[in-house]
Amino acid sequence: MLCGLVVGLALALASQLRWAPARWAVAVYVDIIRNTPLLIQIFFIYFGLPLVLVKLPAFASGLLALTLYSAAYNAEVFRAGLEAVPNGQREAARSAGLSGWQQMRYVVLPQAVRIAFPALGNNLVSLVKNSSLVSAIGMVELMFVANDISFNNFRSFEIYGAAMIYYVIIILALSRALALVERRVVARAAI
Amino acid sequence: MQWHVVTESFGYLLAGARATLLLSATALLTGTGLGIVWGMLRVLPVPTLQRFMVGVIDGVRAVPLLLQMFFIFFGLPAVGVQMPVFVSAALAMTLWMAANLAEVMRGAVESIQRGQFEAGYSSGLGYAQVMRWIILPQALRRMLPPYVGLCTILIKDTSLAAIIGVFELTRAAQETIERTFRSFELYLTIGAMYFVLCFALTLLSRALERRVGEPDRILTH
Repeated sequence: MLCGLVVGLALALASQLRWAPARWAVAVYVDIIRNTPLLIQIFFIYFGLPLVLVKLPAFASGLLALTLYSAAYNAEVFRAGLEAVPNGQREAARSAGLSGWQQMRYVVLPQAVRIAFPALGNNLVSLVKNSSLVSAIGMVELMFVANDISFNNFRSFEIYGAAMIYYVIIILALSRALALVERRVVARAAI
Repeated sequence: MQWHVVTESFGYLLAGARATLLLSATALLTGTGLGIVWGMLRVLPVPTLQRFMVGVIDGVRAVPLLLQMFFIFFGLPAVGVQMPVFVSAALAMTLWMAANLAEVMRGAVESIQRGQFEAGYSSGLGYAQVMRWIILPQALRRMLPPYVGLCTILIKDTSLAAIIGVFELTRAAQETIERTFRSFELYLTIGAMYFVLCFALTLLSRALERRVGEPDRILTH
């Protein structure tokens, strides 16, 4: 998630550049990632890449795929956030003598992050759910553990049922926590 | 690189793509039907029913789709409910679609200003009439772009059905790879095939968004 956030933010900033090729590259990347299944991306990195480049271990493959995937979604959210900041803010910052980078760093970005916060929270929740796909290449994770146990003792109903309850608890707790943080962030923005 | 592997097995991959479309279409139809029913129940002004629907919708949305498929296909037989693998996958995707569509519907109905309801009631219409003639026509327009977005995600997520053994595009590629060992070329190819299917819908969704004039809605994926 952390990697996905950082890469996503970098992509979003690149999409704001005046240099057109950078904007196109980001748009193409985001479209490709968002329009192909995550499972195929995971398989491609874990099973496909070793034929031409490097063999990554299962954990690294899963991490890389989830990072690339969430980065594309986060980039969209950050971009929407950046574009939602009124232009007057930028103009005011420029008339106050700030450079392009300073305008972004001190004026536009802090507001954009606040605007983007709820959608970023959604992406985080999705990421936790999507981590279940990594079990398909055998990374040890909640889903895989449930698989493993159920193949050992054939109590698949109870095991998968329990795994579902764990996910519900994790996801609902996460959503609640995000809603709380969101309220505080929005409250601070109001001041 | 051995791209001839792809050209030789392309017919097989196309058969897989047809199965993917069949699974998507099935889940889309049933999921949309169930989603509209859930969405209507969710916005009915009956507090107990609303709380119940929130439980159902949040429950389905909190569990990863893959786990739902596993539960339906491997877990339910333990309590005597056995379904063919295609039906299990379609059922899991139907529930997924219904829960997400119900959320989209709630969002759309709640985004209509309160005044619209009040104006409807004060001109003597009942709840059903206000919904049918005033709220839904506006809400449906707003639902359209996110709905097409959900369809895109649905097509992408049919790839999960391969894990429980449904024959579709991903499975077709896996079987070809077991025969030829050319995972790089084949995953790249089916990635491109999924892209063609999904990107067409994404473009449609963007065009609809421009026409509806609503800001980009960010959906779960």
